Amino acid sequence: MEILNNLAFGFEHALTPANLLYCAIGCVVGTLVGLLPGLGPLATISLLLPLTYSLPTGGALIMLAGIYYGAQYGDSVSAITMKIPHASSIVACIDGYQMTLKGKTGLALFTAGVSSFIGGTVAIVVLASLAPTLGQVALLFGPTDYCALMLVGFVCVSFITTGSLLNGLAMCLLGVLLGQVGTDLETGLERFTFGLPSLTDGVSLVSLALGCFGIAEITKNLDAREERTPFNGKIHLMPTWPEFKRIIPSALRGSVVGSILGILPGGGPVIAQFAAYALDKKVSKYKDEIGSGAIEGVAGQAAADEAAARTSFIPLMSIGIPENAVMALMMAAFIIKGIQPGPNMIAKHPDLFWGLVASMWVGNCFLLILNVPLVRFWLSVFKIPYNVLFPSILFFCCIGTFSVNNSLNDIFTTAAFGLIGYTMMRLSLDPAPMMLGFILGPMLEEYFRRAMIISRGSFTTFFTHPISATLLCLIGVFFAFQLFIAFRAKRAVVVEAPAASG
Amino acid sequence: MVNQNSARGFFLAAVALFFMATALRYPLGDLAHAGPGLFPLLLSVPLLAIALLIIVQARLSAPVPLSFNFKNIALIMLGLVAFVVGAQLVNAALGIVLMVFIAGFAAVTYSWKRNLKIALGLIVVAYVFERFLGLNLRLF
Repeated sequence: MEILNNLAFGFEHALTPANLLYCAIGCVVGTLVGLLPGLGPLATISLLLPLTYSLPTGGALIMLAGIYYGAQYGDSVSAITMKIPHASSIVACIDGYQMTLKGKTGLALFTAGVSSFIGGTVAIVVLASLAPTLGQVALLFGPTDYCALMLVGFVCVSFITTGSLLNGLAMCLLGVLLGQVGTDLETGLERFTFGLPSLTDGVSLVSLALGCFGIAEITKNLDAREERTPFNGKIHLMPTWPEFKRIIPSALRGSVVGSILGILPGGGPVIAQFAAYALDKKVSKYKDEIGSGAIEGVAGQAAADEAAARTSFIPLMSIGIPENAVMALMMAAFIIKGIQPGPNMIAKHPDLFWGLVASMWVGNCFLLILNVPLVRFWLSVFKIPYNVLFPSILFFCCIGTFSVNNSLNDIFTTAAFGLIGYTMMRLSLDPAPMMLGFILGPMLEEYFRRAMIISRGSFTTFFTHPISATLLCLIGVFFAFQLFIAFRAKRAVVVEAPAASG
Repeated sequence: MVNQNSARGFFLAAVALFFMATALRYPLGDLAHAGPGLFPLLLSVPLLAIALLIIVQARLSAPVPLSFNFKNIALIMLGLVAFVVGAQLVNAALGIVLMVFIAGFAAVTYSWKRNLKIALGLIVVAYVFERFLGLNLRLF
């Protein structure tokens, strides 16, 4: 009953004309930018973050959330119609594109739209019921526990995002080190600034994000020199009743999988999609058709994608620790607006918290109403040649950077991070874990220093507190398991080699 | 041929050594009273260890060629610098024109007519930002 009261309170805020407008703008702009080749949710939020600076706090957060799930949906549209995969829509390319090849684009898009709606709705119920409870648990956390929790997040994100634990951890550490640039808050000493006044406040988040995700992506796409053929097929949106009936069970399964995996550290839409797809392949009534353009292959993953996108807000808003790079960027947006996400957020800013939760459902409706019927309009974005598009994206990178401090010199910083981001991309180093490290870096240092002061410089404090000890043990077990797998794989190669030569 | 895996290791090692060397110039303190240099130093040690591990791994596995297109990234960088210089010396409109015409060389085909149309379109967008959203861009 309390949840219903809270949700009603949230809807009071979300349904004001101004917030409805911000939500609609967020969904539409997010979808539009998310559709563009090479721009996933992370790049989209980076690009559009400065837009929200001049907005009131509630409206800005509602708009950013709209941009996030709008970009998620936009991603799946480009994946289904043109097989343009982003990290967050790889699975949609499999059956979605197969359906397009069979002339069932409209059905695939309708399935993705409705399943996303179902996934989003289930996730909002989970979010509304779990976040306040988890917030209470988070009050038990001390500095050592927060440090350990952040380390768990780094390990999970490093492994899941990049596939290579070493590369991912290196990028997390690099991000934390970049977060050290600027004035040390305890001593007032400037670190790594080289006397540059623009670095006194630290590296600008917008410069880092736009450089590594905007400019580096543009250059990568230019290197590929691909000319994409715009989608020109027919779209019949409305499914038959038997087709519609096939969507529901799969979408519900995906919603549950996505809601659970969205909460776990390092989780989020990508892993949730794969898990939902794998589950459908195992338990669906039509499992034999999955892979060759089945409704279930689109429905489950779309629902899981949207559900995970929403439940990944739970750790951020209740514990104050983002569990992936997109949420780290959202956390930065919260902080810019003067809101510290964490256990006290719900008590201190109930209007913001419940307003945001309710706006997610409103955003769901917008996505369904605006995007499914207007999909043909969205697809016309692909008719814009990349030769025209990339100078425009470059311009928006400049405007985005400039708008933060009204300083043209900040664009030099963005350009420098563009070069660094491109170099890292060419070295197969994913910048997503770096982003998480960069945003959590100052917090990690603060909690580490606090833990060390309390324990008078004893590292054993991390193992005498039950929560941190458990989390660090989990990391230890994970590393041991990874080493075991690596050794086993090496031994298998050594055993096979003489057999092959014999 | 440059091996991508080795290059990755050396890049990370260089970054770690840079942060390590700079951190050592700040007061370190001790664990109970950490100075500003201690935490970055503690972080750069595992980063260096990972970098060395990647270099060793690269020696043991088959090399992967590194592809790096200097032309496109250089043109994009030059376009951004031209935007700032043009906007600082004259106005943002000139900066936009310079950026579009320089970055345009990175496109598959080059057309000055197309670039002119893009630049004009972006100047209109910038005008909207300046006039209606209060962006202090000094367009003209």
